[in-house]
Amino acid sequence: MDVIAKPDRMKDVAHPIRIAGISRPADVAFSFEGRSLLAPEGENLAAALIAAGIRRLGEGQDAARPRAALCMMGVCQQCLLRVDGRLAQACLTPIYAGMVVTAA
Amino acid sequence: MIYDIAVLGGGPAGMAAAAEAAQRGARVVLLEESAAPGGQVYRAPPAGFTVPPDADSRAGDALRATLRQSGAEVRTGCRVWGVGGGPLVPMDTQAAPFRLDALAPDGQSFAVQARALVLCAGTHERIIAFPGWTLPGVLGLAAATILLKAHGMLPGRRVVVAGAGPLLYAVAAKLLKAGAEVPAVVDLAHSREWARALPALAVRPDLLARGLLWRAQMLARGVRVVSGARIAAAAGGEALERVLVGDTWIDCDALCIGHGLVPATEATRAFRAAHRYAAEAGGWVPVLDGDQRCSVPFLYAAGDGAGVRGAAAAPASGRLAVLAALHDLGMLPDHAGARAAPARDFARAAKAGGAMARMMALRPALVQAIPPETIVCRCEGVTRAEIEAACADGAADMNQMKQFTRCGMGPCQGRLCGETAAELVAMHCGGRERAGFATGRLPLRPVAMDALLGDFDYADIPVPNAAPI
Repeated sequence: MDVIAKPDRMKDVAHPIRIAGISRPADVAFSFEGRSLLAPEGENLAAALIAAGIRRLGEGQDAARPRAALCMMGVCQQCLLRVDGRLAQACLTPIYAGMVVTAA
Repeated sequence: MIYDIAVLGGGPAGMAAAAEAAQRGARVVLLEESAAPGGQVYRAPPAGFTVPPDADSRAGDALRATLRQSGAEVRTGCRVWGVGGGPLVPMDTQAAPFRLDALAPDGQSFAVQARALVLCAGTHERIIAFPGWTLPGVLGLAAATILLKAHGMLPGRRVVVAGAGPLLYAVAAKLLKAGAEVPAVVDLAHSREWARALPALAVRPDLLARGLLWRAQMLARGVRVVSGARIAAAAGGEALERVLVGDTWIDCDALCIGHGLVPATEATRAFRAAHRYAAEAGGWVPVLDGDQRCSVPFLYAAGDGAGVRGAAAAPASGRLAVLAALHDLGMLPDHAGARAAPARDFARAAKAGGAMARMMALRPALVQAIPPETIVCRCEGVTRAEIEAACADGAADMNQMKQFTRCGMGPCQGRLCGETAAELVAMHCGGRERAGFATGRLPLRPVAMDALLGDFDYADIPVPNAAPI
């Protein structure tokens, strides 16, 4: 069996995941599960979490089945989180200063 | 107030429909779930973000400008969860104006009423289940285009792109341009399928040129393009680490995968309109006449939600639907003259769009290849084996299978598992027509109970005294 190995670059967290050449608003602070994070104001929450290296957004019916953003258009409900206490789909939620995000 | 026309969905079809209606003097309202009109292909970046323009963003901006100048009332950030009126009235009563119930961006509930309803609900992506598809890092091809184009975000640093249709190469090219590594593009289609689609694309030399440029970029960057192949499995711990193609594991931290587009028929199903199964148009679609009329009076469907024909064909079908609605409402004397241009535009654009839609049609072999223990319904944790056991126990269509297994009863309401599950049921009961579809139910989208309840308080319900024993 062949393996196409990953180069070291994949582990290089400095390699930007936000695409260059786009002008973005200034960063604001928000929190995810108690962890302080920064993202441009108005950036999509699901996208900002990917940029922060947070992929696992919750668990499905069993612990072996994590949930993560899948459709990015409000259909799949896999990115469901609590934003300031209310259930919200991360892929439809813009970031604002001081927003408190927790698992659903 | 009762509008002449309500348009549900602000993609290319809905934007063109609402603009056409307003330009012709109709009282029209457009309801859109996103913060700005545009739909998925022409999705606007978030407020305050400036993305370098490309062909799609220019087409989207032009549609948005026309809509703005038309004076149509546009309500964005509104989640429509309820439909009513029309034929959904008590027996032996007259059809009522249509009613759309929605949540405003501030969480307040509101309703609009209209004499005619044009549904431009678009599509969602078909992703046929495979082992490991629930791992974080696996996401849709359409999701990848939204991330890349609207949000300016890479889905990962080393990204495998897989599935079917033109989106495959669009996403791969965009990933390369944005600085990601693309170790492989895994195309379900053989090269000969693309060769067969070429004549239909001749009417759109711009698309053809774009496609050839993408292929050239893949070659120049040394991207492995594997034709006639599928992702057999994805694996990893906390998140995706590698995917299996044939007998080769490819390391990656994201997999963008899509197996075509499925028309969103929640609303036409809720209105009990007639549907037909058309695999080449994406699946179940409402039965329409040549002017986008559904079987329910004063109900119309346009854009990819009426059958996948692509973003270029959508505006013309939206205009056709609105012109038919205005004619049916007695507001358009010269219908034949008005419809000629959009009918011609639609026929031309639908030819290229139809060829692409055929490449994105469901491939039953993908479903047949799913191992029994693979989860099909992510919301409820239902596996292929459980669905087949239900069929063996007598579940003879989609509704019965749903009741036996809970597959499709979770928060995605069957949008994610529906195509895989329906194909599995079809294998047992003799085809998709027999398998049917899950009955359309409200709410159309998940909605918080407190938003629905508003000021209602259970304590206000008068409780009669209990009868003496």
